[in-house]
Amino acid sequence: MSEDFSYLPEAGSEKGDLIRGLQLVQSREGYVSDDAIRAAAKHFGVPVAEVEGVLTFYAQFKRTKPGKNKICICDGTACHIKGSTQVASWLEAELGIGDGQTTEDGIFSLETVACLGCCSLAPVMSINGKVYGKLDRKGLTKILNEYRKLG
Amino acid sequence: MAEFKFILDGKEVTAQPGETILAVAARNGIEIPTLCFNKKISKTTSCFVCVVKDVKTGKFLPSCSACPAPGQEIESSTDEVREMRRTALGLLLSEHTGDCEAPCTLACPAHANVEEYVRAGRKGDFLESLKIIKQRIPLPMSVGRVCPRFCEKDCRRNIDGKPVSINDVKRIAADLFYETYMEELPELNGKKVAIIGAGPAGLSAAYYLRLQGVASVLFDQQPEAGGMLRYGIPEFRLPKDTLRKELAHFGKMGGIEIRTNSKLDRDFTLDQLKSEYDAVIFAIGSWASSSMRIDGEDLANQGIAWLGEIAGKNWQGCANPGRTVVVGGGNTAMDCARTALRLGGDVTVVYRRTKNEMPASLVEIEEAEEEGIKFEYLTAPLALAKAEDGSLALSCQRMELGAADASGRRTPVPVAGSDFIIPADTVISAIGQRTIVPAGIPSGKRGIEAAKEDLRVFADAPVYAAGDCVSGPATVVEALAAGRKAALAVLDFFAGKPHTEPFLFNVSRGHWRNLAKEDLVYLRKISEADRVQPDYISMDRRKSTFDELFDSIPADKVSAEADRCIECSCTAKGDCLLKKHSTKYGVSPDMYCGQKPISTVDVRHEYIIHDKQKCIRCGTCVKVCSEVINKGLLALMKRGFNTMVQTALGEELPSYCKDCGACVNECPVGALDWKQKK
Amino acid sequence: MAAIKRIKVGTASCGIAAGAGQVFDALKNAATDVPVIGVGCFGHCYAEPIVEVECEDGTSVFYSKVKPEDAAGILNLTEEGRFSIPARRAELEKTLVTRLAGKINPIDMQEYIANGGFESMKKAFAMTPEQVVDEVKKAGLRGRGGAGFPTGMKWSFLAAKQVPEKVLICNADEGDPGAFMDRSMMESVPFQMMEGMLIGAYATGATKLFIYCRAEYPLAIKHLSIAIDAMKEANLHMLPGREKPLEIIIKEGAGAFVCGEETAMIHSLEGKRGTPRFRPPFPTDSGWNTLPTAINNVETFCNIAPLFSIGADAFAAIGTEKGKGTKIFALAGDVKNPGLTEVPMGTTLAEVVYEIGGAEPGTVKAVQTGGPSGGCIPADKFDTKIDYDTLGALGAIMGSGGLIVIGNNRCMVETARYFLSFTQRESCGKCTFCRVGTTRMYEALQRITEGKGTEADIAFLEDIGPKIKKGALCGLGQTAPNPALSTLRYFRNEYEEHVRDHVCSAHICSALTDIKVDTDKCVKCGLCMRTCPVGAIQKTDVFTVDNAKCSKCNSCIEICPKKAISRVNKGEGFNSSL
Repeated sequence: MSEDFSYLPEAGSEKGDLIRGLQLVQSREGYVSDDAIRAAAKHFGVPVAEVEGVLTFYAQFKRTKPGKNKICICDGTACHIKGSTQVASWLEAELGIGDGQTTEDGIFSLETVACLGCCSLAPVMSINGKVYGKLDRKGLTKILNEYRKLG
Repeated sequence: MAEFKFILDGKEVTAQPGETILAVAARNGIEIPTLCFNKKISKTTSCFVCVVKDVKTGKFLPSCSACPAPGQEIESSTDEVREMRRTALGLLLSEHTGDCEAPCTLACPAHANVEEYVRAGRKGDFLESLKIIKQRIPLPMSVGRVCPRFCEKDCRRNIDGKPVSINDVKRIAADLFYETYMEELPELNGKKVAIIGAGPAGLSAAYYLRLQGVASVLFDQQPEAGGMLRYGIPEFRLPKDTLRKELAHFGKMGGIEIRTNSKLDRDFTLDQLKSEYDAVIFAIGSWASSSMRIDGEDLANQGIAWLGEIAGKNWQGCANPGRTVVVGGGNTAMDCARTALRLGGDVTVVYRRTKNEMPASLVEIEEAEEEGIKFEYLTAPLALAKAEDGSLALSCQRMELGAADASGRRTPVPVAGSDFIIPADTVISAIGQRTIVPAGIPSGKRGIEAAKEDLRVFADAPVYAAGDCVSGPATVVEALAAGRKAALAVLDFFAGKPHTEPFLFNVSRGHWRNLAKEDLVYLRKISEADRVQPDYISMDRRKSTFDELFDSIPADKVSAEADRCIECSCTAKGDCLLKKHSTKYGVSPDMYCGQKPISTVDVRHEYIIHDKQKCIRCGTCVKVCSEVINKGLLALMKRGFNTMVQTALGEELPSYCKDCGACVNECPVGALDWKQKK
Repeated sequence: MAAIKRIKVGTASCGIAAGAGQVFDALKNAATDVPVIGVGCFGHCYAEPIVEVECEDGTSVFYSKVKPEDAAGILNLTEEGRFSIPARRAELEKTLVTRLAGKINPIDMQEYIANGGFESMKKAFAMTPEQVVDEVKKAGLRGRGGAGFPTGMKWSFLAAKQVPEKVLICNADEGDPGAFMDRSMMESVPFQMMEGMLIGAYATGATKLFIYCRAEYPLAIKHLSIAIDAMKEANLHMLPGREKPLEIIIKEGAGAFVCGEETAMIHSLEGKRGTPRFRPPFPTDSGWNTLPTAINNVETFCNIAPLFSIGADAFAAIGTEKGKGTKIFALAGDVKNPGLTEVPMGTTLAEVVYEIGGAEPGTVKAVQTGGPSGGCIPADKFDTKIDYDTLGALGAIMGSGGLIVIGNNRCMVETARYFLSFTQRESCGKCTFCRVGTTRMYEALQRITEGKGTEADIAFLEDIGPKIKKGALCGLGQTAPNPALSTLRYFRNEYEEHVRDHVCSAHICSALTDIKVDTDKCVKCGLCMRTCPVGAIQKTDVFTVDNAKCSKCNSCIEICPKKAISRVNKGEGFNSSL
């Protein structure tokens, strides 16, 4: 964590690099804070409002700190047809949180995404980028328990 | 590339390279509606209200951005194009929240600009207030005293207390300036209209005709003008000296003549009027009492006639009616009861439903109760008989409320074996009035049959009818509205064009009953004081004299009262393009329904309101601030249905924005606007 | 037994998701003297993890659904678990563009070269740029990203611009949910795609290359970065006759489907909100930072090297009159063999769905092509020969190649609702028709699937849909109504059943569905009761699901060992509140 976002130049300095800069912040911090927005505005020479406008346009960016383990439920067409809605409801029941939320202990956060591109394994989800396919009720609990054990 | 030709609405037109279809159309006198086009900034291409059709591809193009190609065929005025524009407007309206017009103004049958005259009153400018009032209400002295206050029933202050005492603004404004203020009048243009009946409807018609230079003669069978104001409403509610002052103004306007003691088919005929005048308006009111349909009915006094008789005597030297029973629950019944009380009577009102269903206005019922009038609810008369000693006996029976009827009111049903007798010296029947339609005039359900659109009675002659004689008994303010409508219809007839009711476009946040205080938008800190109360004269005087119930509330108190007004209407109602185009295209706000985007109203800035619920998300303000002013204080945030214009991190607009306001001036709707209303 | 030359493990994203990582490790540990390499995807995702054993004699043995414990057996070339491409599928497919996918180490430039890599580039560089453009025109290659604009034509527009700086963009923002051809190609043959881009840059005079790739595709980005670095190392970015090397930049998208729209993508590359703008001006006139710009997608660029390899005439001989060459489809949904398949244009939907996908005829009611912009085509139209125009005529689009097979047990209204929920969420919000129109359509579909719909909602969809198509600013809005309109066209009965009878016969729409235990099949094991997250299952003398409490999550149905629990029409199950 770097409070002054001094790493921003790594993303370039042109206005066209703004999104890359915000991606860099998010990869470092896990989210983009108000301070990060102000820092990016200053670095790329763009009004703060515009930075926020760009940021909030793209689904990738998070404005709040995510959980330790980021679960993405794929709701692409294949997964949807194969029951991603059910997967989402199982996860919501297991974790007690809804889409876009983080568990109180900060261990899991849950997010529905458009497509992870593993349609042949539908329904799928990913945890911290690791993809789990052909999910069923039992398998899901097992996967979550593994992460729970690690805390 | 040199200039070239293409086809616009079937006509060959010339375009410069780079010129948009919108610009070419404007040059050729074709008006294409647009909300988001603004020549000060780069193209936003957002609203799509400006679409035109490319005939060859069948595609619709935003004319603000599309440049024509040589030889291209463009349609901008076909039904199909209009339908696409209507759709775009309808979709925009489905995400738009606000109040074009204040609920009070909409509630007023005459559509007086209530919010505006209350605001003038708040600022102490009661002359301005009066001028606004008189645009729709030519008898403000009377209405300021007798109106049942439709406006106040819909006032949003009902959410957290009592409504603003709107009518008292009207009353004091008229008291202060009515007699001295004279509107600017055009020269008489030679047209002359005969108006039968010099009551509110007839006077209103004469007034609005005169404002357009048309003279009129009002014929009235009574010795004095005023109609119900003179012979129906008693002195204690509307002193006749006040009325006379009000009517004197009509004489001062020049071109309005009132002929009293002139009765149709006695002193003149319709055919005479038709040949001597350019148009005729019937405004003869509703003067016949409805029948109680009971045995011995002729032993009862007819309410409106009874009031008229006493009025004819100027409430002087009338006999004490003794034990008086008034049958009925309307305003006429209340007037009869309270007149009888003042003449020394011991008065009971008999009504077949309960207080909740009574059509009389609540304040009058309560005043009557205070004055000691007794009420027998759920009671219906069965028969009236006269004893040998000359006293009367009204047989009644008890009722109970049954199922609701078509109008939603619960029908009273007799309770078997509940008959009883009320002894009386005077019985007054005041259960309603009806119109006696003169011979040769078509009659409808409620009186004279007149066309709804323009109040015309005959297709082959310019004869109109307005007021109670068409609608059945109603209020003064409704009669004024009807008289104005007849006048406008006559003026349109003179101008040789058909009269149509203007399409009243209005977006509303909803009735106050369905809103919470948090839903309201406050442009300024409003007064938290309780509603102002008038100082009634003593109860002794109320019971024994016909003195007016209370003096007008003084101006300073009324100004303070007006500070309780929320000013609900849209700051941009005068220049909102969404309203303008939707009105023109006849688009109703509920053309498409659905969820509204979640958005808030930001009133933090001292001078600027940012009402995101009204935003059409065109981003004009964003571009004005960044491209013209070079500030970049605003940006479009989020995307899709949740797109909204916001300041950086939700911060308040800087105070220096008050010196710029470029965004405010370019906003096509009322999303960014000055708080201060014009 | 032939000697093993090397072992290839499919380690593209779906292989890894299927467990290829562990298989790779296990083989690496077991095989001490044989090289084990990761390769890309060769399309048979249903068989992942896939291992190919290359023998010294030039033959190969494939294994499917490999587990780590199979490593020893594979090294002994066991007969068990061997896999071969079904003969009929091999017959129908035409691996022109995907020839090397899954066959070579994606990030090894030498291996690419050894397999004919960069030969096309040499051929092209021997021509003049004009000749290259003409060759592409002659081949009849059309953009594989959706709209099908002739690639040669687009290149000629850019080539015609006489300015020192021009931009060529590869659209790798594969946003259609259900499509994964581009991901697979980037992961498997990044050099092939880059070769296509270099030829494009040569032909058009482009000086700056962007690859706009979804951030959700980390492996693709990694492989592309490695490929670009290797090519720069080899000075391949220095085109003949140029003074300056090409600038090649990978930009990660940030999650906005609309950025697949070319003007939106350009805005995004400029660091702005990804909203499209009205065209003209077209990007070839004014694009990235007002420079002339052309955009092609991944598959289009991947077509370029094969095109020059076989020549324009041979390329044009493949496919149909208006659709030349092959198309890669991402086959998913209710099929036995989901995965990628490359077939010549003109192959029928029936061949793809039944013969390649292995779906049982009679079990499928429709396919959805073109993702959220496309439409549903009913099974009785499966004899349609696939190309841009035939699909368009059916109310669908070719799109980028997602092909979702929809089984009889799916609800078409719910499918349309799903797509509209996607597009309305992905709408950029700029133009009224799309921003508000798609939302209102979605709401109507939502009402219908919730059993609250009326005939008026159907009428509304049929009225507003064509208006949005005609009026919206960009391709997203202009195609967004397609899923609703095409399902209304072919499956109107399902809509009517929802609004009139409040029935979803597929039992997909939860509001119109009850859960019921078949007491004859139930063995009273209690597993369902323990699994139910909301405590809706009670045991009296039999097990009952209380539909007043049930959240319709299907947990019990999934868990029941006897398949005794099923979804039934609303009202047919038990409900304590009734």
